[in-house]
Formats: sequence, C-alpha cells, structure tokens
Amino acid sequence: MRLPAGVRDWLPHELARKREIEQQMRAVFGRWAYEEVQSPIVERFDVLERGLGEEATELLFQFNDRRSTALALRPEMTTPIARLVSTRMREAPLPLRLAYVAPVFRYYEQPQEGRMRELTQAGTELIGAAGIDADAESLFMAIEALAEIGLRDARFDINDARIVDGVLDGVGIGGDEARSAKHLIKARNLVALRQLDCPPLTEFALRRGGHEAIAAVRAICRTAPSLEALDALDSVLDRAAALGYGDRVAVDFALLRDLEYYTGFQFEGYVEEIGFSLCGGGRYDTLLPKFGYDVPAVGWTAGVERLLIALERRGKHVQRRRHRVDVLVAGSDVVAARERAAGNVVRFAAAEHSDEALVEEARAHGIPRIVIANNGAIRELRVGARAEKTPPIPRTPSNWDAR
Amino acid sequence: MDRLTIAIPKGSLYRDAAKRLRAAGIDVPTDVGRRLTVVTSDGTTLLFVRPADVPAYVEFGAADCGIVGKDVLWETDRNVAELADLGFGYCRLVVAGRRIDRYHEGAPLPTFLRVATKFSHSAETFFAERDLPVELIPLHGSVELAPLAGLADLIVDLVATGTTLREHDLVVVEEIAASTARFVVNPVRFRAKYDALIALLDRLASVPA
Repeated sequence: MRLPAGVRDWLPHELARKREIEQQMRAVFGRWAYEEVQSPIVERFDVLERGLGEEATELLFQFNDRRSTALALRPEMTTPIARLVSTRMREAPLPLRLAYVAPVFRYYEQPQEGRMRELTQAGTELIGAAGIDADAESLFMAIEALAEIGLRDARFDINDARIVDGVLDGVGIGGDEARSAKHLIKARNLVALRQLDCPPLTEFALRRGGHEAIAAVRAICRTAPSLEALDALDSVLDRAAALGYGDRVAVDFALLRDLEYYTGFQFEGYVEEIGFSLCGGGRYDTLLPKFGYDVPAVGWTAGVERLLIALERRGKHVQRRRHRVDVLVAGSDVVAARERAAGNVVRFAAAEHSDEALVEEARAHGIPRIVIANNGAIRELRVGARAEKTPPIPRTPSNWDAR
Repeated sequence: MDRLTIAIPKGSLYRDAAKRLRAAGIDVPTDVGRRLTVVTSDGTTLLFVRPADVPAYVEFGAADCGIVGKDVLWETDRNVAELADLGFGYCRLVVAGRRIDRYHEGAPLPTFLRVATKFSHSAETFFAERDLPVELIPLHGSVELAPLAGLADLIVDLVATGTTLREHDLVVVEEIAASTARFVVNPVRFRAKYDALIALLDRLASVPA
C-alpha cells in the first residue's frame, strides 16, 4: 500500500494551493501572449536522447513497450516541445510563444526535498527569436511570475555561456583542460581550479556583481562572441534597472546551467532563505536544429513544488481550508438543483438521516446551512462553526514489534 | 552586510577550525561544551554539528557555509561549492590489510574480496573505478578489528599518523587520496550573501595555514 520513493500524493487542501500557483503562473504566461501546449508524458527514448544528450539520459525513467521500442518518461518539457514544434508547427509563423504547466519525471537515485522523482514544471519557450529582446523577455517574465505568486523579492542571477569560452581562450586554456575547467567553474570548486595555477581564472569563477563585474571580465576576454555576450549582459542589467529590478538582478559568471544544452544567455531565480534555485532558463539555439528545424530558441521553467516550499517557509502556508460548501440538502433533488442554480455549492445528504446526524455532517464540513425536504415541507437549519481537529500525522495502523 | 550562519565540525577538526575562524574575526568559543548553537557578538550564527553532517546543513541551506574535511565531501557527495583548502586536518584515505597477508607487497587478492569500512561510498567508488568486485561491509567503528577477526580481507579507512595501523600490524596497501579541511558554501546562498561570503573567504584565505 506504500508509494514508490520520490513521489507523493496531493490531498484536496494541498492540491488547491498548488493549483492556485499554477493558475497564477498561467495568468502571467497569458499576459505575455504565450499559449499553453500539452505533450504526452511518454516519449520515445531516442527523441529524448537526441535533445538532452547521452549524459542526461541517466536521469530517465526508462522502459520498453511490448515491441521493445525504448520509451522514457519526459524529464523536462523543452525537448518534447522542440519535437512538437519541429514536427507539427513548422508552418506556424515565427516567433512562437508556447507555455506549459506539466508533470515531469526524473530518476534520482536518492530523492530529496526539491529533487523529487515526479515534479511539476511551469515554463515557456520562445521559439524562432534570436537576440537580447527574446532573452530579456524570458527573464522579465520569470521575475513577474515569481512576483505574481508572492515572491516579490526573488533575486535573479544572469550569465551567458559564451563568456566562459572567451575567458578560457583569453587565459590560454583549451581542449580537454578547458572542458574540465568549465565543470570546475560550474561547481565553483575553487580548490581544484587553483591547481590550474591561473589566478585570473580563479578570480573569474568567484566574480559576481553588476556593470563593474562585467568590466573586470571584459579585460580577460578575447573572442568576439564573448565580448558580444558581455555587451548583452550590460544591456540586460540596464533594462532590468529601468523596470525597477535593479537591485534584484546581478551577473554571476559561474552560473552555468547544463553545459551541453545552453548556448548563450541564461539565468536562475532564487530567494535568500532557500538553498536551491526556484526557476531558471536560457538560450538553447542548437536544440531545434537537432530535430531538423533550424531556428533559435530561449525558454525558462520553474519547479512548482519548489515554489510551494519557498512560500511555505515564508509562512504562506498551505491553508487547511476545505472546499467551500454553502448548503447541505436532504430529501429533495429539486431543492438541491434550485440551490445549485442559484450559484451555491451543494452537498447532498441521504434522506433518512436524523436532524442530529445532518447537523453533525454540516459541522464536520463547515457548512452553514441545512435544507431538509420532507413530504413537501421544507425546513432550514443554521449551523454554527466549530473548530476542526485532525491529527497532524495520519493514524495508520502499524505494528512495530512485528517489524 | 548579511549575517552568516556557519556549520562548524565538532571533534578533531574543531580546534583548528575555531582558531582559523577567530583569526578571520569571528568570535568562536574555544570550548563548545554541550551547546548546539551560538550567536556571536557580531550576529554570526554558529552551528556545532558532527563532521559528517556539515555537508547536509550547507546543501539544504540551513547553514550558508561550513568547514569540513574533504574526506566527508567524498563520502557524502553533496552539492556544495568548495571555495578554499584550509590546509589543516591532513589525513589520508587508504586501503589497508594485514602485514602477514602481504597485499602491500603484491600478493594476489582473494577472488571474493571483502572490504570493511566506515566510508562505504568512497570505497565503492574506488573499487568500481578499478572494476574490482568487492563485498563491502559497512561498519561504524574500530574498522581495524575486521581483518584481525576474519570479517574482511581489507579495510578502507582514514589514517592521520599511521599509529593505529602499526599497533594492529596493519599496513597501507594503497593510498586513495589525501584530505584536508575545506571551506564550503551553499551555491545559491553564495549568490544571496555574496559580499559577506567573499569577505569571509578572503579573511580565511589570508591567514597562513
């Protein structure tokens, strides 16, 4: 009767809170003119492998169908949407603005908080738009979305994948050494980086800030793409400041999300008291070409459960609020139908119940009014509220002596 | 500037960790006693935790940063950023066996190799990298006893001076890696409290080891 590791149930009051957040996210997506799409939970393994790269397939829930076709549960939404767009929406005028709120699945060996095997992602993809306007649109929409759910002080760090390449080129590190240096910068493993004996690189891996941080890095960048990326970050900072986000957006040069996936601008959003990021995204111009559709794209996604954790830690708790029921009706379909037609939420009770039983039922569910129809006579009872008490931990029978 | 919460390991690393933090201007008590946590005069919160628990406190963000041996980082494999090697707390993670078995001199290993250790994750990684099939026997203390009592052929253990091995007529068969104390931070908190953490890093790094 037990659940597999890393997944969970959502009880009515918990799901109500989750849905509320999902609807707030959808509202923001809608205001930015994004349309929601849905794809199957199951994809062919080769499709996911093509999009995510071989390394990422270690995170897949994988299985075969009866004809031995390798299938997997989607671990994120960007690859399924890239497949969907490159197969079904090629004729659609670009740029495309698509959104999703959807469950995804990851095979973490050791699931933990913020790293569940089933999670809900809410995010958007802007497909067919290159350049800083599209990048900034993703960032500013993410800022707005987190504000919409109540995280008005969320902070966002931005970076561009091309910069680290320019810096490594500038300090004369290439080939395999550059690849491993990038992983060390991403992990911010300064101890291992110092062994490369390259102080500018160590400083780079610790560098974070505003325009002054960008200026410092400009001095060690050589390549044209990396200099262009630094200009773009300067400009995004200015645009963020104009929107009043100046003190909440900073550049972090070690912010390197999935190295195989992101090709340019990227960002992550977080709040001070939570030790993991709440949302993130970036530009992935090489993904759609892998599906034969040569267009650039940028997107971002938020983990809905992580958002819930952040709100709960702030005391914006999941309310133990029941579904509102206006009236308990006993003995008449017609009376119940009339109440529903009047816009009330109606709970229907068995006709044979005594008045005491009906009052008990109404109290248990916080229903203020009872209407009882009996042989053509209609009576109404008012019910006072009563604080409900349920044990915080479910009382499931178990025998620890027999374990 | 943001106030920090620092996870400090109790036990053998404590004295050096406390000394180093004091040199960096943080008022760490010389003796913890039975306290779990202390707020210093400048508002820094200190958490006194078991060494093996430091990475968990930092990864989940209950502490912004901490001091922990590299051996614990290998073993717990948690997502923390290692910003500085503090130099103290030197020890080696080694594979050791009985002198009379002569594994250290190249005697062939048993086909069904049994390895006792308190460091299961590290031992598993080490033998897996060498494609060597082993039966790992996780123990919680006095691992030296395992080969003497016939529970295991080899042990994987931490060695500081080597005295314990010598006392039980055990020898190092292979050194896996050397460990020292590290200054670690939560990667997201590093951004959130950047100025305070960079300042602490600078002060910790400027003190000679």
